[in-house]
Amino acid sequence: MANLYVKAAPPVDLNRNTEWFTYPGVWTTYILILFFAWLLVLSIFGCSPGMAWTIVNLAHFAVTYHFFHWKKGTPFADDQGIYNALTWWEQIDNGKQLTRNRKFLTVVPVVLYLIASHTTDYQHPMLFLNTLAAIVLVIAKFPNMHKVRIFGINADK
Amino acid sequence: MIAIPYLTALTTFFSYVLLFVFGQIRDSFRKITDWYSSNNLQGYAPICLGLEDFYIRRLYLRIQDCFGRPISSAPDAWFDVVERYSNDNNKTLIRTSKISRCLNLGSYNYLGFAASDEYCTPRVIESMKKYSPSTCSSRVDAGTTSLHEELEKYVANFVGKPAAIVFGMGYVTNSAVLPVLMGKGGLIISDSLNHNSIVNGARGSGATVRVFQHNTPSHLEEVLRERIAEGQPRTHRPWKKIIVIVEGIYSMEGELCKLPDIIAICKKYKAYTYLDEAHSIGAVGKTGRGVCELLGVDPVDVDIMMGTFTKSFGSCGGYIAGSKELIQYLKYTCPAHLYATSISPPAAEQIISAIKVILGEDGTSRGAQKLARIQENSNFFRSELQKMGFEVLGDNDSPVMPIMLYNPAKIPAFSRECLKQNVAVVTVAFPATPLLLARARICLSASHTKEDLIQALEVISQVGDLVGIKYFPAEPKKQQEEEKMLKLE
Repeated sequence: MANLYVKAAPPVDLNRNTEWFTYPGVWTTYILILFFAWLLVLSIFGCSPGMAWTIVNLAHFAVTYHFFHWKKGTPFADDQGIYNALTWWEQIDNGKQLTRNRKFLTVVPVVLYLIASHTTDYQHPMLFLNTLAAIVLVIAKFPNMHKVRIFGINADK
Repeated sequence: MIAIPYLTALTTFFSYVLLFVFGQIRDSFRKITDWYSSNNLQGYAPICLGLEDFYIRRLYLRIQDCFGRPISSAPDAWFDVVERYSNDNNKTLIRTSKISRCLNLGSYNYLGFAASDEYCTPRVIESMKKYSPSTCSSRVDAGTTSLHEELEKYVANFVGKPAAIVFGMGYVTNSAVLPVLMGKGGLIISDSLNHNSIVNGARGSGATVRVFQHNTPSHLEEVLRERIAEGQPRTHRPWKKIIVIVEGIYSMEGELCKLPDIIAICKKYKAYTYLDEAHSIGAVGKTGRGVCELLGVDPVDVDIMMGTFTKSFGSCGGYIAGSKELIQYLKYTCPAHLYATSISPPAAEQIISAIKVILGEDGTSRGAQKLARIQENSNFFRSELQKMGFEVLGDNDSPVMPIMLYNPAKIPAFSRECLKQNVAVVTVAFPATPLLLARARICLSASHTKEDLIQALEVISQVGDLVGIKYFPAEPKKQQEEEKMLKLE
């Protein structure tokens, strides 16, 4: 593993808040973090594997919704607020829709939903929550939702 | 092209996620404790949103002691670093009066003019007594002395252009000249890794800015073709002017620019070229005339040549060299020339004397010796580091060599361990470089002796083993000995 090298070309993306997502290894890290989170939940709560996947799915929903679709702007002051009206999802790939990164990020909540509902045998309270999480996340990532603020929620003042 | 070991990329991402999570947890605790404290700024907007300085508060301040270390002597090959300590986990740093003498691998001192020089310093002191340290005026009012005229002539001659104009500060040269040259309706195409001064100047000019992939002439051609075909945004009229901005040596990569190809493409599409030689003027090339000499490009082919005097000449300030008409135009319009104080006379004299030493006009061959020594030092150091297994960026002959660190925890580790062994290195992390690619940047100087370099190599090798940054397999010693045996036979 130590001798497996990947080439990293410097990206053309000028937005430092999102350019880290264009490097090799991000997708694998994302998937590994989810997997290790599942193991962590299993060891802390000692629940069934299905319950653990549901907890991971819901936590993933909360975290990714907050950081990708709620928080706006960038964590650096020297961007001078050019991106202050855009959420992280609207900033990646310079706003271009349907790139590989966006497709990958749209598929992850769906796959998590399938795993969580399969391992809980589609039982009731978990199924409802999982479905809600998957629907909200996938709709938020549609190209038609670019810069849309429903009912003015999270719009600029 | 940087080759990262895959496992390192994964662990680097994971470390940043961890740092980010801890920062967010601390921020949420801070929000809770601040709920109870009173807010006496009713009606005022906050100076900065809590989100904006997240990076500075939660990541940068943790390793603040690795940056901004104060020094208390001239930045020669060896210098005095002031020790600091902190009582609140690096939020505030307190200076002590203790100093440690360290080997300087961080200053831009390519030709060794940063410390007292036998030819330059007496002349600088004389000019300071004659002209006083500041002209106290802008160039157009009362700030042009005979030194300024002489300096502009010398610089134009040195660089190989008909005329030059000199400013008091290097950063300002870019950010005040670009808005004057380009305006609305113009197109600026700049390399993706250009310096912040160029980015600032381009943003301030009001022209449309596009970026091409670092040092890739084919992508530059693609971008030029697309942009010329599309024309100005919305109206699609042809562009008024197109300018392509590149740097001679990129200070974070140590790479030379692919100048001949880029000039050929610019000529084909009739775009102007602007070459920023901040790090390459005086440091590369047989007689020190920069990247044009090294790569065999005629200075006539580059429309505007810019450079600074801070790196190789041991002074301060920047210059723009070009045709007589261009310089005349700049003298009428550039705000840095009309309103900013002119370059300090002793600084101007330092530059003139340094140029004289480089060209050998002081009667000795010290200039040629310095140039040969910086080239030797750079090539020797770079090849030794690569043999040890470090990942070193940059081309041969470039005195800037970044050693890749990647992991955020290795940045303070490398910096602090080297300082303990009296070697001062500069480490560069996230906002200045891409997220994954944190590095330690080494700048060599002509005043480093071979013993200094060997000592530095030993220390870096030891610290590299401790911190774990030898990402490439080291060349085994046996193979080296075998090669030596073959050569003897």
